[in-house]
Amino acid sequence: MSATDTPGPQDTDDLTAMAVEAQGTGEPIIECYQVDKWFGRFQALRDVTLTVGRQEVMVVIGPSGSGKSTFIRCINRLEEHDRGRIVVDGIELGNDLRRIAEVRREVGMVFQSFNLFPHLTVLDNITLGPRRVRRWPQRRAEQVAREMLETVHIPEQANKYPGQLSGGQQQRVAIARALAMQPKIMLFDEPTSALDPEMIAEVLDVMKELARTGMTMIVVTHEMGFAREVADRVVFMAEGSIVEVGTPEHFFQNPTEDRTKLFLSQIL
Amino acid sequence: MTDGPPPLVDEAQAPRVPTTLEPGPLPAPEPTGPPEARLTARQWVRQNLFATPFGSVLTIIMGLGLGYVLYRLAWFALVSSDWEIVRRNLRRFMVGGEYPEDQVWRLWAGLYVVGGLAGLLSGATVAHAEQQARASGREVVRPGRWDWIRRYWPALVVIAVILSQTRTWTPTLLTLLGAMVFASARWLGRRAPWLARFTWLALLVGAVASVQVVAGFGGVSWSDWGGLHLTLFVTVAGIALSFPFGVMVALGRRSSLPALRWVTVAYIEVIRGVPLVTLLFLGIYVIPLFFPNTVEPPSNLTRALIAVTLFEAAYVAETVRGGLQAIPRGQREAAEALGLSRWKVTRLIVLPQALRAVIPAMVGQFISLFKDTSLLQIIGFVELLEVARITVSQPAFLGQRLHTVTFAFVALVYWAGSYTMSRESRRLESRLGLGERR
Repeated sequence: MSATDTPGPQDTDDLTAMAVEAQGTGEPIIECYQVDKWFGRFQALRDVTLTVGRQEVMVVIGPSGSGKSTFIRCINRLEEHDRGRIVVDGIELGNDLRRIAEVRREVGMVFQSFNLFPHLTVLDNITLGPRRVRRWPQRRAEQVAREMLETVHIPEQANKYPGQLSGGQQQRVAIARALAMQPKIMLFDEPTSALDPEMIAEVLDVMKELARTGMTMIVVTHEMGFAREVADRVVFMAEGSIVEVGTPEHFFQNPTEDRTKLFLSQIL
Repeated sequence: MTDGPPPLVDEAQAPRVPTTLEPGPLPAPEPTGPPEARLTARQWVRQNLFATPFGSVLTIIMGLGLGYVLYRLAWFALVSSDWEIVRRNLRRFMVGGEYPEDQVWRLWAGLYVVGGLAGLLSGATVAHAEQQARASGREVVRPGRWDWIRRYWPALVVIAVILSQTRTWTPTLLTLLGAMVFASARWLGRRAPWLARFTWLALLVGAVASVQVVAGFGGVSWSDWGGLHLTLFVTVAGIALSFPFGVMVALGRRSSLPALRWVTVAYIEVIRGVPLVTLLFLGIYVIPLFFPNTVEPPSNLTRALIAVTLFEAAYVAETVRGGLQAIPRGQREAAEALGLSRWKVTRLIVLPQALRAVIPAMVGQFISLFKDTSLLQIIGFVELLEVARITVSQPAFLGQRLHTVTFAFVALVYWAGSYTMSRESRRLESRLGLGERR
């Protein structure tokens, strides 16, 4: 890592090198290459190049409006990218609906506002995907769903409706719902931002346990403790571009870029 | 007595309970819930009717007014009026003037088909729901033995009024037989919860079967239908056709295909810009133009039904669209992220929530449809209201001021139908809303 203050071509090379070097097992599972994305005239992503390795935990941080959410929503194509390439587990995302469905089957997502289906019980929320997408028989889907509820420590809530649960419980159901599809990758879009402080820990604990099982995870979050403890790499984004990529130690002890320093000083 | 400060009531012992207009079944209180509020009649009256001086004055004025109206009504209904006109024309009210007397058995048979199927399905649905609840360890809530009386009292009252006007015991016995058919079918249905899976199929079969019983096999031609029978048929058929069609139009209006969107918007705006009467005339005179000379155009009833369906569907579509718009985008995204196809997302996630949200508005729509069927008289149908008009202009009853009795009878029938629908919608709403508090 160069310690020059003025950004130059050398830095860019470094950044690219850090960004494309997959961690985890070292075998890349998500590859993004020069991705651009516009919302109307507003450019949400600029030239984003990043590789995520199998079993890697990557934490994405940055100020609001920096494109973090847009970036991970491009990975399961909830947003379409306008330029560049995104390859997920060997499948390139384009307009082919079948490929998109294939990617979505392998990529689970957890949202900031939970987005549980209020008209279905917890169990039905979780079995919906396995039954309707994977076409498992009901018995198997329910068995897996109950296992997943054990994983997130709320097996007793199976027959309730989401509206009867606390925020932390709802978010854990949402995690169970994504896991029941047995995905290879999990995306977390600010999973604790809508939670009351006392419920953040229970969700983060589940995520830490998940990381320990070797799940590939991309986590957009403001929880720096989580980043420090669990992340293999931390990505800092601002104004749609990747500003800095590095290990948590590098990030929290001697960040290179001024903007990173500024951001960290504001939130830590 | 009404002056002075409002009486003090120990709030802790007698917390104020909201008055419910409808004595519907309340959810059973949990054993650990708040202490149950029990008011003596005296406390209730004080708190709700004489809480403030102004309230007391209002209560007295309203009470006197209401008492007077009720007294006059009772006097009119029971003492001063002569119901002979209704008694003499009862068959006309029920089936219209043209309906051949020796074919009335077909209507009874059709009624039994419908009643038997309704019993079977309601039994199966309840059994299925209980099975599900038991499997997932939820509490099984059974309605009380006589809850159905409370639930359907408006309709039961009207049936009783109608039967009280018959001159022989036959209709009463036949009605009781129908009730028995329903009850035994329901008993069977409770033992066959698997039937609940085929609800839609069974409804379709039932509709075709009952129409066949009435109109098929050399039965009564559609042009001879009339009275309450016609009104109910147009209402039920109109709802059954306009609901699915309206939902499709609503989905089309939100489609990502511009052509589909334009067509549906144009359809909705054109239909909503035209009164139902105009549409009925257009249906009668324009629909035949689409058929070549060699093909016989559909019957007048079919044409009217097409007009009613097109009209209602436009309003249903707008109502459903409101519901669709109320569903947060995250719902669709979460379902899509699971890998569900767009159609499945709509069918499994968006539509169920949207339809639930618009039940009150939708039922309101169907209640107006029920009453709007009276417009069919303008294009020559002898539906319930037209029967009343014809009846009072019979020479035998001219000049005897029998309008009031006749129209009061018709109003009672319309009211019972509308109020039953409204009550059922509220019931459905509260049942589907269970556990959905957010």
